[in-house]
Amino acid sequence: MQTNDLSVPLVAENSSEPSIVQIKELSKIYRQGEINVTALNRISLSIARREFLTLMGPSGSGKSTLLHIIAGIDRPTSGHCIVQGVEVTQLSESELADWRNQNVGFVFQTFNLLPVLTAFENVELPLLLTRLTSKQRKKQVLTALELVGLADRTSHLPRQLSGGQEQRVAIARALVTDPQLIVADEPTGNLDSTSAHEVLDILRSLCNDAGKTVIMVTHDPKAAAFGSRNVHLEKGELAP
Amino acid sequence: MSIGGFILRNAVRNKRRALLSILSVAVSLFLLVTLLVGLRELTQPPTDEASAARIVVRNKISLGNLLPRRQRATIEKIPGVAAVTPFTWFGGKFRDEEVMFGQFAIEPKLLLTIFGEAKMPPEQFEAFVNDPTACIIGIKTAEKYGLKLGEFMKLQGTFWPIDLNLKLVGIYADGIDDRNLFFHHRQLDEMPNNTGEVGTWWVKAASLEDVGPVVQTINAAFANTTAAVRAETERAFQLSFISMWGNIKMLVLSICSVVVFTLVLVSASTMSMAVRERFRELAILKAIGFRRRELFAFILAESFGLAAAGAVIGVGGAWGIFNHTDLVASASQNFMVLFEVTPRIMGQACFVATLLGIVASIAPSLSVARMSVVEGLKTLD
Repeated sequence: MQTNDLSVPLVAENSSEPSIVQIKELSKIYRQGEINVTALNRISLSIARREFLTLMGPSGSGKSTLLHIIAGIDRPTSGHCIVQGVEVTQLSESELADWRNQNVGFVFQTFNLLPVLTAFENVELPLLLTRLTSKQRKKQVLTALELVGLADRTSHLPRQLSGGQEQRVAIARALVTDPQLIVADEPTGNLDSTSAHEVLDILRSLCNDAGKTVIMVTHDPKAAAFGSRNVHLEKGELAP
Repeated sequence: MSIGGFILRNAVRNKRRALLSILSVAVSLFLLVTLLVGLRELTQPPTDEASAARIVVRNKISLGNLLPRRQRATIEKIPGVAAVTPFTWFGGKFRDEEVMFGQFAIEPKLLLTIFGEAKMPPEQFEAFVNDPTACIIGIKTAEKYGLKLGEFMKLQGTFWPIDLNLKLVGIYADGIDDRNLFFHHRQLDEMPNNTGEVGTWWVKAASLEDVGPVVQTINAAFANTTAAVRAETERAFQLSFISMWGNIKMLVLSICSVVVFTLVLVSASTMSMAVRERFRELAILKAIGFRRRELFAFILAESFGLAAAGAVIGVGGAWGIFNHTDLVASASQNFMVLFEVTPRIMGQACFVATLLGIVASIAPSLSVARMSVVEGLKTLD
């Protein structure tokens, strides 16, 4: 694993906290047949610890691509992406999988819970890759579910939960390994306003009370208002 | 939740498909086992020590050509020969039907010397030896026709121009084939216009070491005579019959291959379908830290589990039916008596099931390996 040796500021702009994410000259170009499509064009960005950063922009602006690269599920064409001191672009597939398990929590627009597993089992899933005992896993799962207010829904299958509850289970799953970084791709896109508000409250409290760094992609300005900083992307570049 | 529990949940998430997949594997493996058992039934010669010391002497031209009775004295004088009996196929109709048991004319007093493995009470054997009109039958034929000692059996000649009325005096068991009927060769020797011929000679060698030299000497003794013979061990004689099944054997093996190939296609298609509809879930698993090898293991375990469940039902069912019921024997009117699943056949079927589990998981594993997390998530959206 490589550590930071770049001239990217270790303290994020407008923040007294040190950076957890440092991005330098990051580009991503997709090849579609004969045409090259630039999704990200030489982006540099620093994100501080405990920051709640929202990424906004029109469809195709590259915000999800940026989020995926930061989370280690996509690779850039060029540039650097250092998360918690690790150059994620240099990690092998296997190293990336381990790194994601320990450092990143994912929240998706469509919840992505496994339908055959109960809420408890869905949250327990990332812990199956750790060396924790069954008892330790149970304790952590129940803590995560309590944190999102669903300790009484442990044995419910996803189809027995409302959309808001499903998303809260997904947040519990993202939290259960205690990662420093939570990435959320339009987490309120499929929710009514009340449920969306609950989910955003949880994400904000994770940032403010639990010291997590949250990066959220959204189209919704109301959702973006929950963030501590908002970044706009236009055609693969940061908007001024 | 354990990893095993997680795999099981995924395997049975679509219960109807899982059930149908397991049943298709089970039925195919049952068919495969049935074919292999049938092939064994058709091609398995006797291999016990008693049969290894027996020599069959037949006309060199063909089994249908008879041998002169005078040859017996020559054979009896050959060193290493313990006993010689004429052994002639009769092939009569019983109760006006084509029968599925052999009828052979022999020298009664030599019966137990040559076919020593057959078990029969001594008084029945004595009655057989002493009565020229007597016959004995194997226990399977006796049970099939409900025959009892003292009954008369009328055999209507089809190959030989004579009808026989034989008194049943003995029932034997544990012979090489417990269906056959034996009667005195005198019945044929004394028929009108008899030319003094027998079907074959069956010879018992004094020891296993004598078998080779006795075969050679018999062949040499009648070479260049009007009735040259072909002497061979009982095993070789049986194998010569088996060679007539050559094409049947190839046909059965071809059907087995088609069954296995079709089974692989069906299973691979089922596993591919099961994995394809779970692409997004596999992408999520990748995202939260599961590596390729762990996803391979999930798919392999699921595929193997379905194949194993099918094998338990299919092979176990065949074993239960063929080894613990008389279904096949009664359905085939005791023609199929060795119809049983041997450990070897069971092993072959389990090997096919294992292979099936592995092969069926290859294609979905490769597609999962190629899939990036982002692509997988896009299939979701």
